[in-house]
Amino acid sequence: MRTRDWLAVLLGPVLLLIGWQLLATGLEGKALLAGPVEVLHWLTQNIGLVARALGRTLGNAALGYLAGNLIAIVLTGIGILFPKLLGVIGGLALVLFCLPLIATGPILRSLMGQGEGPQITLAALAVSYTSLVTLLTGLRAVPSAWLDLVHVYGRKRFAELWFVRARAALPYLFAGLQIAAPAAFLGAMVGEFTGAERGLGVLTIRYIRALDVAALWGISVVATVVSIMAYAAVGMMARLVLHDLPPVVLLSSPASGRCGKGRFRDAVVLVVAVLLLWWGGIRLLGLNPFLAKGPLDVAAALTWSAEASESRAALFLAFRQSLGFALPGYLIGLGVGAGLAMLLVLVPAVVPLIMPIAVALRAVPIVTTAPVFVLFLGRGATGTITLVAVMVFFPALVACIHGLRQAPGQVLDVFDVYAAGPFRKLLYARIPAMLPALFAAARMSVPTAVLAVTVVEWLTTGRGLGSLMALSASTSNYRMLWSAVFLVTLFSVLSHAAVASLERHVLRIYAPEQVRQ
Amino acid sequence: MSSRMISRRGLLAGGAFGALLAGGLTRAHAQTVQAGFQLSWLHSVQFAGSYLALENGWWQESGLQVSLLQGGPNAPVEPPVVAGTALVGISAADYAASAIEQGGDFRIIGVAMQKNPFVIASLPANPVNVPADLQGKRIGMAIANTPVLKALCSLNNVDFNAITIVPTQYSAQPLVSNEVDCLLCWETDLPVAMAMNGIKAVTMLMADHGYSLHSQTYITTRDSLASRRKDLVALMAGELRGWQAYHSDTDAAAELTLRMFPDAGLDLATQKLQAKRQVPLMFSDLTDANGFGWWSDESVAANIRTLALLGHKVSPDLWDRSILDEIQAG
Repeated sequence: MRTRDWLAVLLGPVLLLIGWQLLATGLEGKALLAGPVEVLHWLTQNIGLVARALGRTLGNAALGYLAGNLIAIVLTGIGILFPKLLGVIGGLALVLFCLPLIATGPILRSLMGQGEGPQITLAALAVSYTSLVTLLTGLRAVPSAWLDLVHVYGRKRFAELWFVRARAALPYLFAGLQIAAPAAFLGAMVGEFTGAERGLGVLTIRYIRALDVAALWGISVVATVVSIMAYAAVGMMARLVLHDLPPVVLLSSPASGRCGKGRFRDAVVLVVAVLLLWWGGIRLLGLNPFLAKGPLDVAAALTWSAEASESRAALFLAFRQSLGFALPGYLIGLGVGAGLAMLLVLVPAVVPLIMPIAVALRAVPIVTTAPVFVLFLGRGATGTITLVAVMVFFPALVACIHGLRQAPGQVLDVFDVYAAGPFRKLLYARIPAMLPALFAAARMSVPTAVLAVTVVEWLTTGRGLGSLMALSASTSNYRMLWSAVFLVTLFSVLSHAAVASLERHVLRIYAPEQVRQ
Repeated sequence: MSSRMISRRGLLAGGAFGALLAGGLTRAHAQTVQAGFQLSWLHSVQFAGSYLALENGWWQESGLQVSLLQGGPNAPVEPPVVAGTALVGISAADYAASAIEQGGDFRIIGVAMQKNPFVIASLPANPVNVPADLQGKRIGMAIANTPVLKALCSLNNVDFNAITIVPTQYSAQPLVSNEVDCLLCWETDLPVAMAMNGIKAVTMLMADHGYSLHSQTYITTRDSLASRRKDLVALMAGELRGWQAYHSDTDAAAELTLRMFPDAGLDLATQKLQAKRQVPLMFSDLTDANGFGWWSDESVAANIRTLALLGHKVSPDLWDRSILDEIQAG
């Protein structure tokens, strides 16, 4: 690498450090932000403690990451081999992913008792769905002529999956794996809130209360650096594996998405499956009725019980508050993510400058960023909306960058032959190539936005669904808790379906290979 | 799920595992009885009496092997007690009351904090010394605690509407950075953190202004009271000894806490201060006369009045002194 490149690589982190120190100095006495010098000092003093906690959290995150991604890969494989099951598999995975972790945490702890179970499970839940969606997109991003070739030779779906789809999906698999790395870490940390003995999450809670700002930011820095390193390591692996793959060729094929009737059938099967699993799961696991409320309990609590109208009013008030934060944050996050991705493709020199900041923004555990955002932007809507946007922004950015790079080489060559500028190439070749990835990000960001808004409400603002769920759990109001879980999950799944419907309309025009059956 | 999905091999493996587990359990059973004890928060000197009991083998002596289950911000206390994973849990009178309203069959069998630890913490330049000072102030607290503030106001004829509630996370930071004038918090955590950071805080203990509510109470189910009496007596007897030892040397208790949980990120000086500050909440002439965990009938009546202000209707049956009676009888 030339010296200039090295400078570019170093510039981002150096600017970040200087800005951080200035900010910390400006905020001195507010007990809010410790500067890099102070943080470094604390870390060297407590290296053993931090190393042991990091080992525990990292171990749990890694196990969850592995398990979650394996599940995603297996489910995707099954879905591609048996496309009829795809709707139900995707639906069930989505429902699981949409379960709000403020509620699943305590339930998992009650189920699994002491130990690392809930931490690993929450880490796995945090990654499996995002990986599933990116992988599925990748498996479909296949030139239809290749599939025709497989069929001409009389081979069936398995050969199609093995020889064509699996290889085409590799870049997408790595995109998913990259996004999943910080998510698994956050999942493991939040899992520790349910009564874990050790880990960075436990230390975070401790230091927030102890007003130990240097320690708090020391932990955040460690969590962030580890997340970035995990992210970078997956990226490096991707470059090693992908260097000699043929460029993806864009070929048009007639669109034939699943018809409306089929989708309706899938939806009905999904609803029945979820209700059965919910009801049966409680029975099968022998969960205590004090904690575990089945579909009938929730139906009673929301419709025909004596307090139903009161519960509904409380639930819908909280829902309206949360939606008011989540929706603007979601749209802003997606817009900024896609916009920045385009900028990075137009001006590649900025990539090493902006990427570390973008990764850091997402990798700093939301638990510690929340108070800072709240200080700068107030405890009102702006702070929460910004946090939701930050959480949505990062997956959108990564997916869009990958998507923009998927623009077929031949098509770009044509533009080059006509001496078209980078802007034209972006508009006519790269953006259409980016759309599948953007929509994949938009779809999987629906649950992310819900997660972000509920976590912020729970930890800082004390409003909306997040706060309602935490309060219900602490006052043993498990009817309300399960009702809230039901509502949140239903809303996430329906919003997801709405985005998917929009996606089908757009992709039918710009990326028909994605909606090929 | 259909039974056909369970494979033969899976069934065999499950059976073997079950046998192993059962074997392990019966072996343990021959020596000691297992009992889970669900704490309400992260390990700290807040539960140091229990650590002393564990460390000194006071539970082991009576054939009880107690495992301390740590709590946390998202860790439930009541469900493990209902499910039997924990024999006893640490709760508070108001949480126990709401759990009962939700169909839990709980009894309070001991009271660690006779005085409720809730305080209004403020800075000396702009102090809240009496409830009337709250008027016109911005208070940082969880919205969920609104009934607590309302109860304090109605107990002291303070205009609740003259107070501005600012929803904050549970941290002293909003007070330190002047986002709020005061905080609703525990005597033993945020003010201690401020003191350790060299910031002097004024605290007004709500218990001194009519807010009577037992805290850090030991809860168990009525089922356990009937079927596991012996274990409950052993557990509480160990607690009594542990907390007595705690009372005689809080510094030693803090040191033990750090020794037992080296990875919990605890600071010795902080723990020592916290240990001292919770003594007046836990010990009184009443406990000196009757032992740790004891409560008076008058305090139950006062608790019921406070609970009514918080919207809970409970009967004195919620408190069950039979375990402490049995310990006292020897």
